[in-house]
Amino acid sequence: MNRLLAPLVSLVFALLLAVSPWFVAKRSFGGRGVLLAPFGVVNPSGARGPVPELGWIGVAFWGWVALAVVAALVFLLLNGERRARALYLLGAIGLVAFGLEAFLFYHLVDAVNAAALAEGARRPPLRRHSLSLGLYLQLFFALYLLVAARMSQPAGRGLLIRYRGVVVPLVSLLLAMVAGGVLVWILRPIPGVREGLSTYGYLVGKFDLVTYTFQLLFGPVLSLPGLFQSAVIATPLIFTGLSVAFGFKAGLFNIGAPGQLVMGAVFAMFAGLYLPGPRFLVLPAAIAAAALGGAVWGAIPGWLKARFGAHEVINTIMMNYVAVSVMLLLLSKNEWSFFGHVVHFPFKAPGYEPKSLLIHETARIPMFIQMLGFKGAGPGELSLALPLALLALLLVYYLGRRMELGRRVIAALGAGVLGYLVGGVLPGIPAQVSADLVSVRLNGSFVIALFAVAFYNFYMWRTKYGYELRAVGLAPKAAEYAGVNITAKLVLTMAIAGALAGLAATHYVLGGGIDEYRFKQSIPYTVGFDGIAVALMGQNTPVGVTLAAFLFGVLLTGGLQLNIQLGISRELVTVLESLIVLFIAAGGFLPRYFVEPLLATEALKRLEPGHALEEVR
Amino acid sequence: MDVFSSAFLVALVAGALRQTTPLLFTALGGMFNERAGVVNIALEGIINFGALAAAVTVQLVEAPYLAQDPNVRIWWIPWLGVLAAMVVGTLVAWIHAVVSIRYRADQIVSGTAVNMLSFGLPSIVLLFLYHNTSDSKDIAHRILPMDAYLPFLRDFFSTPVGRILDQSPLVYLAFLLVPVTYYVLFKTPWGLRLRSVGENPEAADSLGINVFWMRYQGVLLSGVLAGLAGAYLSISELNHFTRLMAAGRGFIALAALIFGQWHPLGILGATLLFGFAEAFRILIEGTGILPSPLIQAFPFVLTMLVLAGFIGRARPPAAIGKPYEK
Repeated sequence: MNRLLAPLVSLVFALLLAVSPWFVAKRSFGGRGVLLAPFGVVNPSGARGPVPELGWIGVAFWGWVALAVVAALVFLLLNGERRARALYLLGAIGLVAFGLEAFLFYHLVDAVNAAALAEGARRPPLRRHSLSLGLYLQLFFALYLLVAARMSQPAGRGLLIRYRGVVVPLVSLLLAMVAGGVLVWILRPIPGVREGLSTYGYLVGKFDLVTYTFQLLFGPVLSLPGLFQSAVIATPLIFTGLSVAFGFKAGLFNIGAPGQLVMGAVFAMFAGLYLPGPRFLVLPAAIAAAALGGAVWGAIPGWLKARFGAHEVINTIMMNYVAVSVMLLLLSKNEWSFFGHVVHFPFKAPGYEPKSLLIHETARIPMFIQMLGFKGAGPGELSLALPLALLALLLVYYLGRRMELGRRVIAALGAGVLGYLVGGVLPGIPAQVSADLVSVRLNGSFVIALFAVAFYNFYMWRTKYGYELRAVGLAPKAAEYAGVNITAKLVLTMAIAGALAGLAATHYVLGGGIDEYRFKQSIPYTVGFDGIAVALMGQNTPVGVTLAAFLFGVLLTGGLQLNIQLGISRELVTVLESLIVLFIAAGGFLPRYFVEPLLATEALKRLEPGHALEEVR
Repeated sequence: MDVFSSAFLVALVAGALRQTTPLLFTALGGMFNERAGVVNIALEGIINFGALAAAVTVQLVEAPYLAQDPNVRIWWIPWLGVLAAMVVGTLVAWIHAVVSIRYRADQIVSGTAVNMLSFGLPSIVLLFLYHNTSDSKDIAHRILPMDAYLPFLRDFFSTPVGRILDQSPLVYLAFLLVPVTYYVLFKTPWGLRLRSVGENPEAADSLGINVFWMRYQGVLLSGVLAGLAGAYLSISELNHFTRLMAAGRGFIALAALIFGQWHPLGILGATLLFGFAEAFRILIEGTGILPSPLIQAFPFVLTMLVLAGFIGRARPPAAIGKPYEK
């Protein structure tokens, strides 16, 4: 740790702490809040009502300043194991103080509310109270001290470099949030602000505005319906993220996920409208059709690259525009004139609305709630079929490590089916389902997405094809010399990437992910671009892509509230996304050994003497 | 309209010149960064930002004057918008330059990030200024076609040839830039240095040329020109900014750049081809011969065909896309 950097961090922390709101006593609709800051209560909108007396807040502030000063002194004066021990102690003190303050605040708020109710108020006066930026800063500072402590121990910095796959995206996320915060600070006024706010009040109010923005964005994680809704939005992001990641691994940049998704939807629509037969045949066929549509659309730029050397970036972008044209052709009118010949489109729903007819019942993917065995809102039974199937599948896959790979997969799938059947026969667990949860359109394509993640992991790291694909991505010439057919590989890779993006259409068309079981022109195909951010944030790993998709699912769900409550466009999330892409591309502005595997290995050798060569990924 | 009438021909040529202009600006800009060895796929986004900056600047500056007199026209206001577009274009290009030159990022990923930013950020700005997420307020101070500036030639501008030549000054500027950029790139020491940095940065470095600085200049210049393209779209072609205004022009310009062999004259030919295709599309769409979505896809399919057909013969700058390591 740089000796000058640490005091600077302490200084910034103390200054920010002074002008941050620590707690929000209450928050009304539209974001107006009563803010508790270390140097007084800030009430920009002049809301009336009782405020909890936090006499200790000033004391706590000076306590934190003392902590920051001591931390800076520790950095300047102590070294090695002694510094580590001191920092561990300070970090622990910080954590305890944070917990204590949070507890005291909630305790006081409860006391105020109880008192008001006892006096005959109809509703508790302090609703929607929460911790705020000051407390978050304290938590982060304490964690920073703990991390710094670990860094001061032997091999500490090596640890940071070793986990660079996590460090770089997280730092980028943090930087993007800071930039987004600055944007909000500039563009929006303090909610409900009135004349005559002091400078201190202005600063606290602005910091509260920024904090509230991110509280809204991350808000969905706090409730089950919110989480489900995030999963709804994450589902297509998982597909498109995997699609982009798949291309990245082969050194290809697939910006064509939007077009591939649209073509997947086109194929799925035709399959869902015209395939006859029983459900157990039609549904898989319709899902396969979605994949096929995307695969065709992906394979074309792949072929153009392999055959003519035309760069896939421009071609995939062009294919996006063409796909949207195809969609408009199919959905925007019932009749078109081709050189005077009138052609009628029977699959287009009559009327002006650009949408197809409803697809057959047999091609519809059931809702997730139904897959869990619930009929609707109210009391029901949680069927064990799906959980048992998943459990059995994973159990056999992980226990069967000794088996030959092909057999292991088949055994795992068999166990999954068996688990499903057994679970279906067993009696379910009684449970209540709220109406909020039922209205969330999470459907079976979420399960397909998880299978796609498993497929990606399996194909990329467990098969010869995946090995070849990664070899092409790392060193095309060497791979070709070793016998990989580059032409075929490029086409195949783009086809599979396209198929993954095309599968996202199962969510929208077959799963009714938005509202209806049909192909509509409003299908949000730009999630294909979001896939770029998801793949980069997830560092092209299966778990990473899934987590990143969830992160953006949460942010996009929260973004709706942002628009309603603060009048900030939901596009703020898109801005955050693009900044994340930009910052990750720049390696989070971190030293270069965080970005390049070879430099990382060298740095590790330097920092951890006697350390074996790290696997270069 | 009859396809072979002279009126159709006049409309086609005049439309083609208008459609070529933004492509030409952008492709000439792209020539500078690619000749310096940096891929700038962010051109699409820079056009968007330039268009936004021009429309917003003009609207904000003209508002107080219009409040006093709704019919007032002040000659410098639209040009201030053009300047704003150039400045903003440069700033956005600078972001791309820092990330891809200083931090040696993957240039295509970095450019894509800027493009994504240009999809989202304008909505926030528009919501802040105009309370909707898709359009800016109409402006009164457009950059008008030539007949507004040369009233004594009004008779000439109503003849068929005159109607073809009755274009915005920016159209003339775009075509004028072809010989200018040719001279700058091939006849000046600066142009030689720029090209050397894109062909063989190590050799250029050993001769004392600052590779990083030359590359910065190349990218910033592309930002200036793509910003101009944006200004042309929002305050000359139209009178307001619309979300996603570039509509793929940045990418088509990149294809034209490859098709035009990274040479001003080649770029002129290539952008004229795309310009004619786009003008033809607009005219045909009105006739209703084919479904309009099919016709709308035409320029994009043409781009792919051109890329596939000519890329084998194209010889890009040798060091393109590779971050320079000192």
